[in-house]
Formats: sequence, C-alpha cells, structure tokens
Amino acid sequence: MLGARHDAARAVGEAHSVALLAEGLRKAYGATVALEHADISLAAGKVHALLGENGAGKSTLVRILTGAVRPDAGTLELNGSYYAPQTLIEARSYGVATAFQELSLVPNLTVAQNLLLPDMPRGPLGLVSFRRVLEMGSDILARHGLQRIDPATQVALLPLAERQRIEIVRAMENASSLLILDEPTAALAETDWLFDRIRMMTARNVAVLYISHRLAEVREICSDATVLRNGRSIASVGLAEASDDDIFEMMVGRRVDHTARNRAASRLSDAAPRLSVKGLSGHGLKDISFELRPGEVLGIAALEGQGQRGLFRMLAGLTVPERGAVQIDGLPTTLSSPRQALRAASGIAYLPEERKTEGILAGLTAATNVVLPVLPGAAYAAMITPQAELRAAGPSATKVDMSPRYLDFAIGDLSGGNQQKALVARTLATGAKTLLLFDPTRGVDVGTKQSIYAAIRAFAEQGGSVIFYSSELPEVVQLADRCLALYDGRVFQAFEGDAIAEQALVAAIHGHAGGHH
Amino acid sequence: MTQTPEPTPFTQAGDTRTSAKISRDTISAVSVAVLCVLLLLSARLVSPALGSWTQVETVLVLGFFLVVLSYGQGLVILSGGLDLSLPATITLGGILATSWVGANDPNAWYLLPVVLMICGLVGLMSGIGVVWLKVPPFIMTMAMSIIVASALLGYTNGTPRGAAPTAAVALMKTELLGLPTPVIVLVAFVAMGWLFQSRSIYGRYLYAIGTNLDAARIAGVPVTMMQILPYVISAMCAGFVGIALVGYSSGATLRMGDDYLLPSIAAVVIGGSSILGGRGTNLGTVGGAILLTTLGTIISALGMEFGLRTVIEGSIVLFALLLLREELFQKLRNLWR
Amino acid sequence: MALAQFEVQTVPAWKTLLIKSTRGAALIVGIYLILYAFYAYQQPRALSASSFASLMNNTAPLALAAAGQALVVISRGFDLSVAGVISICNVTLAVYPLEGPGGALMSALLCMAIGLTVGAVNGVLVAVLRLQSIAATLATMIICQGIALVILKAPGGSVANWIADEMTGRLAGVIPVSGLVVALVIGTWLLLRRSNFGLSLYAIGADEHSAALSGINTRRVRFLTFVIAGAIYGLAGFMLSAQTATGNPTAGTPLLMLSFAAVALGGTSLSGGKGGLFAAVMGAAVLMLLQKVLFSFGISSFYTGMFQGVALICAVVFSGLLTRLGEVK
Repeated sequence: MLGARHDAARAVGEAHSVALLAEGLRKAYGATVALEHADISLAAGKVHALLGENGAGKSTLVRILTGAVRPDAGTLELNGSYYAPQTLIEARSYGVATAFQELSLVPNLTVAQNLLLPDMPRGPLGLVSFRRVLEMGSDILARHGLQRIDPATQVALLPLAERQRIEIVRAMENASSLLILDEPTAALAETDWLFDRIRMMTARNVAVLYISHRLAEVREICSDATVLRNGRSIASVGLAEASDDDIFEMMVGRRVDHTARNRAASRLSDAAPRLSVKGLSGHGLKDISFELRPGEVLGIAALEGQGQRGLFRMLAGLTVPERGAVQIDGLPTTLSSPRQALRAASGIAYLPEERKTEGILAGLTAATNVVLPVLPGAAYAAMITPQAELRAAGPSATKVDMSPRYLDFAIGDLSGGNQQKALVARTLATGAKTLLLFDPTRGVDVGTKQSIYAAIRAFAEQGGSVIFYSSELPEVVQLADRCLALYDGRVFQAFEGDAIAEQALVAAIHGHAGGHH
Repeated sequence: MTQTPEPTPFTQAGDTRTSAKISRDTISAVSVAVLCVLLLLSARLVSPALGSWTQVETVLVLGFFLVVLSYGQGLVILSGGLDLSLPATITLGGILATSWVGANDPNAWYLLPVVLMICGLVGLMSGIGVVWLKVPPFIMTMAMSIIVASALLGYTNGTPRGAAPTAAVALMKTELLGLPTPVIVLVAFVAMGWLFQSRSIYGRYLYAIGTNLDAARIAGVPVTMMQILPYVISAMCAGFVGIALVGYSSGATLRMGDDYLLPSIAAVVIGGSSILGGRGTNLGTVGGAILLTTLGTIISALGMEFGLRTVIEGSIVLFALLLLREELFQKLRNLWR
Repeated sequence: MALAQFEVQTVPAWKTLLIKSTRGAALIVGIYLILYAFYAYQQPRALSASSFASLMNNTAPLALAAAGQALVVISRGFDLSVAGVISICNVTLAVYPLEGPGGALMSALLCMAIGLTVGAVNGVLVAVLRLQSIAATLATMIICQGIALVILKAPGGSVANWIADEMTGRLAGVIPVSGLVVALVIGTWLLLRRSNFGLSLYAIGADEHSAALSGINTRRVRFLTFVIAGAIYGLAGFMLSAQTATGNPTAGTPLLMLSFAAVALGGTSLSGGKGGLFAAVMGAAVLMLLQKVLFSFGISSFYTGMFQGVALICAVVFSGLLTRLGEVK
C-alpha cells in the first residue's frame, strides 16, 4: 500500500519535471543513526512538504540536501544529473539554498552584508565597497517587498520576525533550482507574505521543500508531502488525498485521539485569586491587569512580540516591571529573581521559552535538571547523591509521562520531547502553585504534546493555577479555561469557557474586535 | 536561534549510553592515574633510585602545592570562569605569613587563618567584579593579579623579609602516622574537595551555572553567590599554598607564585575538564596535578634541562586535549542538530 | 524609486557606522591625549622628538602584541602563545645576531616566520581539530617557552647592533622607526578590514555557526587569523629585541597579560565580534604612557600595577556601560 502511494507521488512528480531525486539516503553520527533510509522526489515548480516528528530525521535530510553534511549511503540527483555537494557554497552554486530553522544570520553584520555573504561586491581597489553592498542589499529587499527594512541596520537590532524574513529572502535569492524552508513560519505571525513569495518561486519553476509542524499551513501551500518516521521515509502522498488523521498516523505510527476537554470554569468562580496583576507595564506591556484563580488554566494568545514575553519574564522575576503591582495569595510581592519567585508565597515556577538556551543544563542528568530548584530539599545536610536525585525526580517525571529510565541520562542526549517533559516536570517538582509556561509544546511531537496537556490538566484539577502562552491557537482553544488575547502590549479581549474559539481568537490577536460578548 | 533544533533520535541509541555516560568522566581520571603509575614504574627501569616508595612520597609532597591550587582553579573553571590571580594570591599568602605572622609566631594559630581570609578577600573582590561589574573573569582576575602584585611590591619595598612561622614549617616538614604530614593533609583535602564538588548541592549548582548561567538562574539556582564562591575558595587555596610554600622553603619571594599559574590551568585541562566550564571532576584534576609533578620530578632526576621539561609538559597538555577531542566533536554535532 | 529610498536611508546608516567604528578608538585616543597632556605639563621635555621616540620604542612591542591578540579576540578566541613566540624570537636574535641592514631584514623575516609557524600550529589545533583556543594556545605557549629555554638557558647574548640602534632610532631625526612599524601593521589591517576576510573575521567572532551557514569558510578564516596574529607577534618579538638589545628566555611573559589588558582597554570585547586593531594599539600606548605619567608625578614604580589594574577594570566597566546604553537606544 505504501508502495502504491510512492508511485502515485512519482506520477504527480512527472507531470512537472523532477528537480531533485534522493534515494536510500542514510546518515549515522557514531552509534546514532539519524537517517536510516530516505527517498524523496521533488518536482520543479511545486511545493513539497516534509513531515515528521522531532527526531524523525528531517533536519539531517535538510543538511544533506544543503551540503552541510555528507550522507553515508544513497544517491542524489539534481535536475537529472549527479549531485553530491561537499559544502554549503557548492550546493548554492547548484542553486540549492536553505532558510534554516535556527536562522543563520550573523548578528553584528548589517542586513545588506548578510544578504550578500560570503562574497561582497568590491570597488576599484579590490576592497569591499560599502556603497555597493548597500545598493545591492536594498535592491534585494525591494524585490521581496521589504522596503521598510533599512539595509544598513545591524541584524541584531531587528525583531525576530524580520530576521526570519531576511533569512528566507536570502535563501530565495540563492535558490534557482531548489529552495528549502525549515520551519519558516516559526516567528511569522501571518503567512501571506511568505506564501506570496513561495508562489513567486514556484512560478519560476523552483522546487520548494517546506518543513513545518503546522498542518493547516502545509495544506494551504503544499501539494504533496513526504512523511519521515524514525529516520525512514514512510510515504509520499498527495495532500488532497490524505486526511489529517492519516498523516498523524503516518507520523506517529498510531491514531491520535481527540478527547473532549472539560473546562474548569464552574469550579473556580468563587475562590480567592491566587495571582493578581494590576497595571503591569514595561518591556512591551501596557497596563495589564488580570486575576488567576486556583484550578484555572489561563491561556495567552498573541502574535509574535505583543508583550507576552515581557509579561512572562516579569512574572518569573527575570525583568523588573516599570509600573504595576503583583499580588500572590493576596500579598503584595516584588519579583526580583526566578529563585525569589519560586519562594514568594505559594510560588511561581517558570518554563522558559527557549529549551536549549534557557531550559536544559545539557551535561547534567535529567534527574538533576528536574530537582535543581528543590535540591536542598532532596539533600541531607547539603549533601546529595545521584540516587537521592533519582528518587526525588521520579514522581514529577511520572506526572509528565516520562519514563524514569531516562532520568539518569545526560539531558542533552535525550530527544527534544523528553527534554521538554523533563522541564515541565521541573516546574511541577518545585511545588509552586502557579506555573508560567511559555509555549510549553514548542517544537515537540504529537505524543509529547498529549502528555504535557495531560500534566497541565491534572495540575489544575488538583488546584494549581497555570498561565500559558502558545504560538498555536488550537492549543489555546483546547487547554484554556480563560484566555486573554494580547495586542500591542494590552489585553485586547478576554474570552471565557466556550467563547474560546479559533476564529474569534484570530480576529482578536490581529486587533479586530470581532463579536464582542 | 529561536527554535530548538531537532534532538538526537533516541530510538536507535538504546540504553547502552547510561554506562557510557558514567564512565565518561571517570575514564579521564582513571587514565591519568594509570599514566602516573606507569611513569613511576618506567622511571625505575631508567634508574633504580627512581620509582621507589620514597619517590612516591616526594612526588606527593611536591604535588601538594599544585593539587591544592588546581582544586581552586578547577572550581572556578567549572563555574565558567578562570582565575589568573593565583600567582599574586600565593605570594600574598607567603609574604603575609613571613613578614607578619612570622614575626608574631606565638599568635600564628589565629593569624594564619586571618591570612587565609585576607586572601579570600582578594577572591571576593574578583568575584564581585565578575558578577556585579560584569567584567569578564579573564580581565577581572588579571587586573586583581596586577593590583595585588603591585601592592605587595610596595608593601615589601621590593625585598620580602621575615621567617616562616613554625606552624607552616611543621605542616610541610614533619611526619604523622609514619607518613609526611603534607601527604595526610593532602588526602584529607582531596576527600573534602570531592565531597564538596561531587556530593554537595553547591557542587551541583556549580556544574549548573558552568553549563548555562541563564538556564541555571531560571531553574532557581542562587547564581550570584555560586559565581562568587569559587573565586573565594580559589583565592583561599592559593593563600594556603603560599603559606605551605614558605613552610617548605623557609622564606617568601615576590615571584614565588609565578611558576604555578599555567600548571594550575594545565592540571585542570589534563584532568578532563572543559575549559568552558560545566564539565570535569576534581579527581581528574588531582590526577592531572600529580601527573605534572611526577613528570617534573622524573625529568629533573634524569638531569634533563629545564627547557626540555617545559616542552614535554606542554606536549602532555596538548596530548590530553587531543584525547578529549572526540567528545568535542560529538558536542559540536549535537549543537548542529 | 528604490534609489530614492536608498538615499534616505544611507545618511543615518553612515552616521551610525561612523559612531560605531570610532567610538571605542575615539575614547581611548582621548584618554591618551589627556594623559599626554598631563605628562607634558609635568615634564615639558616630553614634547621633544627624542622623548616621544623613546616612548614609542617602549610601546611598540606591547602595541604589536596587542594588535595580534586583538585579531584573535575579534574572532572570539584567546591566544596565549603570544608570550612564547616573542620569547623564541628574542632568544633567536640574541643567539644568532645578523649584522647590517640585510641581517636586520633577515631577522625580521625570521621572526615573522617563527610567528607564522606557531600561528599555523595554533590554527590547525583550533580551526581543524576544534580545540578550545585558550586551552590549545596554553599548550603551544608552554612548548614555546620550553623551546626558548632550550635555545638560551639564562638571560644573555646580544642582539645585532644594527637592529638595536636603527630600529630604535628616528627617521630624519623626527619620526621614530618603531612607530613606523606599528603604523605599517595598522595600515595593513585597515586594508584587511575591507576585505571578505575582514568581514568574515567579525562574523565568526559574533556567531560562528551562523557564519558557517551563511557560506563563510569558518575554518579558513580562523586558521588565517591565528597565522596573521602569529606573524604580528613575530614583529613584536623583533621590536622587543631591538629595544632590550639582549636575550631573555622569558622576555615575552610580561607581555601576555598586558596584551589582553591593552585589547580590553581599547574596548575590544573579549566575547568577540567587536573592536579593532587600532584601538588595541592605543590601549597598549595608554598602559605604557601611564607608567611615565605616574613616574613623573613621583609615584613609586612599585605602584604602577595598581593604577594599571584599576584603569583596566574601569575601562571594561565603562565600555560595557557604553555598549548597554547603545543597545537601549
């Protein structure tokens, strides 16, 4: 059956000419096989999706195509001829370019310099001509409708979304036969500009490989998809013929059940607020007030950069608000550090935005990572053994459905999903009654998402309070008892109970007051 | 930059990595220890006078200084810093012990601890500079070194005077339970050091902040205190070494610490620690220090010239680094995904 | 249309570029001028050509060492081998003196070759074998010190007279030769800075991973950085030998820390991607001038270090504040 699907994909591919054909790609890093056996065929002028859970091998495949790593086995053909790029630059010379997920712009160079790397235009003396760099940079920006960006600005000073656009533009400028977009919408609030640009590329007969976790987007722009699971290409399908559940099944290897959520609204109406925020301002926030009650899950919905980061960092004690007051359990509190936030009254525990740079401590065991905030409690007279850490971390790990056998691994060696589970377990282990979860399921697979959702619900049912921000609206709809839509640093609209619906949220986060209650 | 790159696929790796992980840190410590023994034994082939038990004792007594010193340096490196102020702090300890304590010998029992505390103060200032003034450790400890050295120059008018306090001499030149006292003190020091670094919550905190300061702060680690503490400990270790050195050689000089800075870093590196912090064990560092000392003793016993000895020392550091390299590769690959 | 846009946008862009590129250097040049004014006020002779030349002679070795160090620091690295290279060059010139201008040229080339070789070893260790630069150069530095000791066991020997006389002399009775050598290095840097290599140097200093994904050959850039820095250290060793006229196997050691101090004083951030060679040279000049000024104020040379240390901390704190101010704006 899978074979049949594969043939179907090829038939689709042959309508347009095949731009890239990869067969039997394999790559191992030491004992770890990142890519077992991948086949993929991309048609010129079409957008092809690459789907798969984290660790399925997508990034490895991208790196092979883009010349950053060389496969151990398998063949690549580009436009009918042998293709084996040794370096990124060589791949570029074949017209293959990638917009990387983690963005590959150099922060201390200007926009124009980044667009032209690594070879700058030179003046008569063979020296780099700053004037021509700027000219060429602004030409490129203008071509892609980004005139608003000053080519002489340092990249570091730009907002994340603009950086992502520049990353994409740079790849497009270098891609004449194959464009690879790895999670291109991670920081983009809307897809109009991107899809417009992609259509321009396909009109030029460029093949596009599109990688995203967001299936709705994929359905909108892509015609076909290849699904990777555990380093193998499972199937290539026409997206029109496959339902979401089919695709999830291929990605995960089992069906995902949609359990109806039960909102806790009725339980909490009369309880005293656990957290009360009044007039909080600064760091992108303008006069935010709200209350959070025991047992409540409060969702924050917003486009990128509407002040949600400031809100979470202030409540976590990482930044100081310019104005405003915070009360925990009715007591006025100044949150000056995460450590102090943990100890303030019933405690606030924070799950940071960036797992790799703010979350995990890569070399330490998962158990140490989980118990770190409560280490003195797990120790006798400040002395601690690895066994004591395992014992202390066990219960929290169980709550997030993380197998205890992973606890004595260095957390850096675990999969992204298990790392995230460990970090959620850490917030639970602190014993804090309020959890601040910033995008708790960012970049994790479907199975891990379900475990994290279950842990959040269980925590709330036992009287805990949760504030979470999610970049995915369906997640807010599914989890939140109450939801605040932020726009331009203010609470634009609040939703409660069944009023939390995706369409209404979309309007609100864009600043359109649709359907007031 | 914003999104977490995809992690290592876990499925294929299996459970074998647990044992690999546990041995990873101990391997370097054990291999360094084995190397020491082999060196001593092979020295015996060259000359029967070498490699005897007496020589082991000599190595341990001579190694005392470097072991203590590199423990402090190791803690600072573990926390993500670097302590370049060691030579000046050693000299500070030595000069205060001779010119001040030496003249008040009967009061040495409380004056020597005061000397240690003064040295600790130097570390405290380095730590505060690093944490609150946000001066990079490299610069801050270097500046402290220059400042302390210059102050000592002024304090002694260029020529240190005074004799070693009897307590310091006793520490280095007596025997206890049939062993040289410094060897006993050394064993106790290493045991306490191991407990602190590998079995106390403070040790865990140091590993955490050395791995990732921001993440440690978010996890609720008392980062300010834990960043300053290693500098204080390191400076006190250096002061202790200064006192021990005057006990050993009966006097202080203004340059007595100069030859110890690079070996203290080298011992940490040879012992398998990452110079970037967050990785390494103190037993490895002890091994590194003993290895360097063993090597020094053998080479000087063989009558090799000092220059060649230095070349060999450098080559050993290089060798240790290259042995650790495979790990680094793996790290880099992980960064890539 | 696009051109009009371009016109509007470049003006502030050039301004920011100007501010950015000169701020660090301007600051340190200002400090130097103020210090020099103090010095001249105390000792009017300071304004004479001969005393300026002698100041330049004192400064040149450290200035060159700092210049090389700055290159490596900009690429986000540390190079401890600077001390080793200078020591080897110094003892080589003292043990094998080559007389006459031809001999001097040979000596200079020899020094640079020594630096290039050590730099290439560092480059391989760091760029190809991917060792941490601070650890790798620690090893090469210890080895170099050993080699210097093998060449010359104890201080002694003497550098060729021609080098000792001419390289510390004045051209046309006014321009100090040592100053010219430093100027030559700075001039080369200014050209280098406006090349793909120069840009790549700053790029890998700020974010090596991104630089690689942007198509920069990070290995080559890193390797070249160490090699060029090594050659400059060689020149520093040459100038130091001219100044001391004798050999000392540990001649380079004092310059190790001071070279970092000069780089930091010049406002080059040790975390890479920022700063410049000229600022580092000026940092070295300030450190050396400070000694003279303190001496002219009758402060014992014992205490020079205290002032240098405090100045260093203040400079780093201050430039850190400036950077943060810039970010807020």
